[in-house]
Amino acid sequence: MGNRRRVSTRTQASAAKVRQLVLDTLPKPLSGQGNETIFGPGGVLDSLDLVNFLADLEYRLDESFERKIVLASERAMSQHRSPFRDVDSLTAYIIELLAE
Amino acid sequence: MSRKRIVVITGTSRGIGRGLAAYFLRQGDIVCGCSRKPGTLRHERYRHFVLDVADEKAVVAMIRSVMADHGRIDALLNNAGIAAMNHALITPDSVARAVFATNFHGTFLFCREAAKAMLRRKAGRIVNFATVATPLRLEGEAIYAASKAAVESFTQVLARELGPSGITVNAVGPTPVPTDLIKSVPPAKMTALLARQAIRRFGSIKDVINVVDFFLSPRSDFITGQIVYLGGVNG
Repeated sequence: MGNRRRVSTRTQASAAKVRQLVLDTLPKPLSGQGNETIFGPGGVLDSLDLVNFLADLEYRLDESFERKIVLASERAMSQHRSPFRDVDSLTAYIIELLAE
Repeated sequence: MSRKRIVVITGTSRGIGRGLAAYFLRQGDIVCGCSRKPGTLRHERYRHFVLDVADEKAVVAMIRSVMADHGRIDALLNNAGIAAMNHALITPDSVARAVFATNFHGTFLFCREAAKAMLRRKAGRIVNFATVATPLRLEGEAIYAASKAAVESFTQVLARELGPSGITVNAVGPTPVPTDLIKSVPPAKMTALLARQAIRRFGSIKDVINVVDFFLSPRSDFITGQIVYLGGVNG
């Protein structure tokens, strides 16, 4: 039990850190603190912005978590709802990759 | 005085790749090379990585390591390549897959990872390696020529995708250069091949370096998506 609680606390801490990293890396500031759209209809980034953003984010994740993650994975491409769509989905997707 | 360039070259244990690495080291640049086998170059400005260019994780790790050491990549030369010279009908599928893995997937992975690094500075030069076997439609080299045709197409599309980001992507298409890659080709076949060139001689590593130097020149920032064949072969 104690172990599980510690893991859960660590995951939450990582989630907050990942979310902040996503927000800090975005080249265009979002208007508020909600779950705003990054890419797609109503998104703040166009496709070229997205490529630059993801490349930058991979390096920042490496610096913060010492993990060599590639965000453009098969899983990302096969998901019905793109993990790059908004801040929440991208954060959840990165947490999954970090947990692997 | 210009600062040292950070040059990543694949397939540096022998042949053209080794010659390219030695050349850039003589120019004062820092060279990071790789091959499946341990490196054969020893130099204070050379670092070797033992990897398979088609291994995604290994490629990512190498490029991140170069970035951690130097903070940038100025040029990528995707030289690593293997050939399978045989009639298409007696080529095992495993051989075809291995040729595509090294020649195309290796090029793709290094381009993808190095371009991400280059995006950070909105500058960079990528040179891929094509072959005259593709435009000459050489019999007996169907798989090799097809894998390099994929590299050409990829080069031209990537040039458009990276053009707005200040990164150029070109390819050099060497004629046969006397290296291990062609040592098993019968002399009669090689003579017939050279006869199809405008200038009928073997290429040399210097000929390849000349084109690579041109692509890497700061003055070539308006040159991208081009495939330059040696020996007067046309695409």
